This record gives sequence, C-alpha cells and structure tokens, in this order.
Amino acid sequence: MKLDLFDDMEGLILHERENSMGAMEMKLNISNNGNDSVSRFPAKTPLAMAYVPFQQWGETYGDDEALSKGTLFPELDLPFSGGGDSR
Amino acid sequence: MNEQKMLLSKIKKYDFTLKELNLYLDTHPNCRRGLAMFQKYRKLRENAVDEYTRKFGPLTPDQVNNSERWTWTDDPWPWERR
Repeated sequence: MKLDLFDDMEGLILHERENSMGAMEMKLNISNNGNDSVSRFPAKTPLAMAYVPFQQWGETYGDDEALSKGTLFPELDLPFSGGGDSR
Repeated sequence: MNEQKMLLSKIKKYDFTLKELNLYLDTHPNCRRGLAMFQKYRKLRENAVDEYTRKFGPLTPDQVNNSERWTWTDDPWPWERR
C-alpha cells in the first residue's frame, strides 16, 4: 500500500475528482439512440455496488451471421477466451 | 444444398433473429428500431414458412391445411431427411 499517497491530499482530491468526472462523462456520452428512455447506467451509482450496463440499441448482425455467432448484437458477441490452465 | 434445406435454414435464421429481438424487446418495450426490425423479420419468417409448407408440407401439425389427407405423418420424418 502506498502510504505516501495520503500525504498528498491535494493530489488525492484531484484524483477523486477525475474519477467522478469520468463517470459523469460516461453517463452523458452514452446517450440512447434507440428511442428508449433508459440510460446505460442509473443516474446514481453508489459505491460498492455492481452494475450491469443497460443495453442500448446499436449495430446488429445479419440473420446469417447472428445464428453462427450466437447473438444478434455485436456488442454482446463476447467469445470466451479464457479456460484451460491459467498458470 | 437443395431447396428444402435452404428454406429450412432460412427459417432457422429468422427464428433465431426473432428470438434475439424478443429477448431485447422484453427489456426495451418502447424501442422503435427493435420493434421495426421485429416486424420485418416476422414478415420474412411468415413468407418463408408459407413457401416451405406449400412446397414441402407442414413444419408443425397446426399447419396441415388439407381437408383430404392428414399430411403431418407423410414421409420423410426428420431423421429420415437426407
């Protein structure tokens, strides 16, 4: 643990502010483009909670590709790349 | 691939796309783009199923529209298809 970080209170506060601004920008930028009023994340995201982003309408595969990929949405095309012995 | 197989594979693709849209719309019931795509594929599927049943017989028993003969049990059975 980097204890010297706590000595630099100003730096710490700046760091915190950057983080929250990042979250804010994320909320604003990812506007919904599918005429759905639900945003990607809730307006308030308390710490220590896990969030699943709410899907926004985007690109879609053609029916041919969708069936072979196993999803209609490229955003959800997340092939499992782990597995085996991870050591 | 013969015509029957091609039609069947088309129906499978439409079915999958419709199921995906079904799941999406369950959580996004007001998404017009999703709804439009659903309607488009519903129509495509309907046409493909019509064509299939006209040419190759029913895919499900409720599609038997023959008042002379119960065509549901006609050969070939799914496991007999080549």
